[in-house]
Amino acid sequence: MPKKQPATAPRTFQDLVFALQRYWSDRGCVILQPYDMPMGAGTFHTGTFLRAIGPERWSAAYVQPSRRPTDGRYGENPFRLQHYYQFQVVIKPSPPDILDLYVDSLRALGLDPLVHDIRFVEDNWESPTLGAWGLGWEVWLNGMEITQFTYFQQAGGLECRPVTGEITYGLERLAMYLQGVESIYDIVWTDGPLGRVMYGDVFHQNEAEQSKYNFEMADVAWLLQQFDAHERACRQLLEANLPLPAYEQVLGASHTFNLLDARRAISVTERQRYILRVRTLARAVAEAYYASREALGFPMAESQPAASVPA
Amino acid sequence: MSRRDLLVEIGTEELPPLSLLELSTAFAEGVGNGLTAVQLKHGRVLPYATPRRLAVHVKGVSEQQPDQEISRRGPPVSAAFDANGAPTRAALAFAESCGTDVPGLKRVQEPKGEFLFFTGRKPGTAARDLLLGIVQRALDALPIARRMRWGDGDAEFVRPVHWVVFLFGNEVIPGRILEVETGNVTRGHRFHAPKPLRISSPGSYAGALQKRGYVVGDFATRRQMIREGVQRVAAEAGGDALLSDKLLDEVTALVEWPVPLAGHFEPRFLELPREVLVATLQDHQRYFPVESQGRLLPAFVAVSNIESRDPAQVRGGNERVVRPRLSDAAFFFDVDRKRPLAERVPELSRVTFQARLGSLGDKTGRVRELASELAGRIGGDAALASRAAELAKCDLLTAMVGEFPELQGTMGRYYALHDREPDEVAAAIAEHYLPRFAGDALPATTIGLAVSIADKIDTITGIFAVDQKPSGTKDPFGLRRAALGVLRMLIERKIDLSLPDFLKAAHDRIRADIARSDAGGSNKPPPEATAVVSSVYDYVMERLRAYYLEGNGGFTVTTEMFDAVLANKPASPVDFDARLRALSEFLKLDAAASLASANKRIANILKKAGTLPEGRAQAELFKHDRERDLSARLDSLGVEANRQFAGREYTEGLRTLAGLREPVDRFFDEVMVMDEDAAVRANRLRLLGSVRNAFLEVADLSRLPGQA
Repeated sequence: MPKKQPATAPRTFQDLVFALQRYWSDRGCVILQPYDMPMGAGTFHTGTFLRAIGPERWSAAYVQPSRRPTDGRYGENPFRLQHYYQFQVVIKPSPPDILDLYVDSLRALGLDPLVHDIRFVEDNWESPTLGAWGLGWEVWLNGMEITQFTYFQQAGGLECRPVTGEITYGLERLAMYLQGVESIYDIVWTDGPLGRVMYGDVFHQNEAEQSKYNFEMADVAWLLQQFDAHERACRQLLEANLPLPAYEQVLGASHTFNLLDARRAISVTERQRYILRVRTLARAVAEAYYASREALGFPMAESQPAASVPA
Repeated sequence: MSRRDLLVEIGTEELPPLSLLELSTAFAEGVGNGLTAVQLKHGRVLPYATPRRLAVHVKGVSEQQPDQEISRRGPPVSAAFDANGAPTRAALAFAESCGTDVPGLKRVQEPKGEFLFFTGRKPGTAARDLLLGIVQRALDALPIARRMRWGDGDAEFVRPVHWVVFLFGNEVIPGRILEVETGNVTRGHRFHAPKPLRISSPGSYAGALQKRGYVVGDFATRRQMIREGVQRVAAEAGGDALLSDKLLDEVTALVEWPVPLAGHFEPRFLELPREVLVATLQDHQRYFPVESQGRLLPAFVAVSNIESRDPAQVRGGNERVVRPRLSDAAFFFDVDRKRPLAERVPELSRVTFQARLGSLGDKTGRVRELASELAGRIGGDAALASRAAELAKCDLLTAMVGEFPELQGTMGRYYALHDREPDEVAAAIAEHYLPRFAGDALPATTIGLAVSIADKIDTITGIFAVDQKPSGTKDPFGLRRAALGVLRMLIERKIDLSLPDFLKAAHDRIRADIARSDAGGSNKPPPEATAVVSSVYDYVMERLRAYYLEGNGGFTVTTEMFDAVLANKPASPVDFDARLRALSEFLKLDAAASLASANKRIANILKKAGTLPEGRAQAELFKHDRERDLSARLDSLGVEANRQFAGREYTEGLRTLAGLREPVDRFFDEVMVMDEDAAVRANRLRLLGSVRNAFLEVADLSRLPGQA
């Protein structure tokens, strides 16, 4: 086996995305684009949550903008955003060398594990709204968490067989580290013939305005109606046997709930009930999706002959 | 018999650090006990545990089980042969199952009759044929909270398994463990020595790992290396490392090749409370803080898992992580201190404690009243207790506690002092969370005790009143811990409090708040005070039982002793404690066993007799001298004992009553209780009833095991 030389580090934020896409594309993943609806994490993308269900094989990588309304800081905190990016990789079944593949992806970013202290520290994951849980780690790079790694055990209340391995890189954190900057807004997004553009140029105004919306302006009465409407629509769509559109209603309900949470419109005890309502929908969708794939005969269940891939 | 060393190593992905030691110990015990169970003699059992492996090296395991004498009983002779003396089917089948024929069987006379018997010698099995099963069972029995699957396999373990080394001497024990083929190849450090590493014999395992694998396999050795290394690096940084055992264990479980290095942060952060710095460094980052003469230095020691080609990168990276965390904390500390805690009191009403029990504001109102009342009774200042209770939960609304929930109470104390609240109030705010876990300190101040007890009693009573009492392992409000905490405070600080009265006082206030929350709703009305008080009392008593049975009272208590005292339902845990101690002393007396038997006998007689006739025994109805003796002795000793009991001198009182042993024994030896004359019989029952009642003042001795 030839010794792998660490590549040079990507200089810009977009180079970081390209490097990860290239790396996982070379390993055979489907490179997807972000899901075009607000969601709290890359896990909510159908490419992870629904594909983790059932016996079919699947591997994909994509960037997912993630919205966490309560994390907004009006653009004034150098480390927190209500809208940020995750780079998500899922491989099902999880291959035996998935951790080595991950470490190689860090090498591809110029991070040599014999220079940097890379550690896998237990961190188990549970999503009460998705009825999903898994076991895994947070990955430390010299003491900083840069990635979440999870072996899915359950999704939508269904056992995951085979198991999906999920890798979630925090892109801003990685970029800050690679670029040696102390604020998200100082990340160089691109630096080309048309000049240098910073993360702050792209997103600072958005953080300030969206934080104001999330915490102060979002119309609580209307959001409460919206939540009910998403729930109703989800049930109707499930009755019509349309799990994919129904799932989008789950996404809507989940994001609406997050906004209500940011407005502190939901008490601690009510919170549990809202979470349960979303979970009930997510479970029903998971079951309907499984049934729909089963009706198709699980077309991706067979092992695909592996094309030769440059290692 | 010849012996060989055994080695089994399960190679895994990174194991959970907080359970590594427990898993390792359980694995070693499981293998050791498994060998013993099948009579394979063996020497020392040496566990190895790192983030990527659980291993056990057993010295000198017998290669062969000893032969076993076998003795099996077959059918009775009467059923083994027919009228003609020919063996029946039962006899033939038994002989066949023993691998012999009927003439090869013996006959043995037993109390129940004569039986066919097979005796023989079963040759021992070779160890190599037993080892796989032993290891498999040890793995199956590991205390794993949640097992996981991986890939498309069915194996379940803590984390995915990659290799299994299984050596008996130089020989690989073939087989599959957790869906992995066993062999003699391990792996070293994930990055320093990723290539396969062959282990030639169990004895060379640890050395090979360390010399060629960049892995220190033995947990204790690695822990000691870390302790020394961290101290050395801290000394270079000009101080001493703060070495908590818990953190040492965790860090030891996070590295295979420990390399400590110092990092620094800006000295301005030292203005933060010490607890904030320690929480950030120690709890969030697993760094060892560095102090000099009791004051923290702007430095920490991180333990990395590699010998980095460029240690400055590792140091710099770790320093980068600390800086934003500390600047966040400094920001919170500044912002929080701009508003006094007292200004936040109204905001407590916006935080739900429990839907029907109302907000934290409602809870605070209840606890204020309870705490000030209690403080007044135990020699504290009621007004200070009321103030402390009023402010106790306010730090939950601060930014710092939002970020560091583990600093609840601690930050309250800092902020109260900053607000120039009285010292007693500040101390009580921090102390009212005590004790937080088994063996934790109790509040040191009277006000702290009053607020802590009031807060916990309000929580327990409230949760019972809304019918959410803990079930099984579900205890979201931590009632077990709260109940035990209250008991420890009452007993260990000798606070003589009637639990039912205090529960009733708590419930009166809770009931009013529930009624307000429920107004217009569809909840069924809360149960009456008596029902809640009695179920909380019973719940707390079960915690008290656990407290004593686990030896926390400082003396041996059996569940029978506990039940004997509980029979009286003592209102005050302090009184309960005194009775239990007296009972424990009493049981050391010669008379104890006999009097316990007598009490048991009396209890049975009275139970059979049904309703006990009213009143005391009358002298004119005594027919037998032994009745008169017993009655006279009871009269004299009973008066003395009652005086002692009234003063809670239970030990002395029971010693007095021990004088009843002889007259009671002789009564039972010579007197027939169930006399034909109904009046005499009733009179004797009355006498026995009085004897029993005398003891019942302290405990129900009939619940104790008596003389055999």
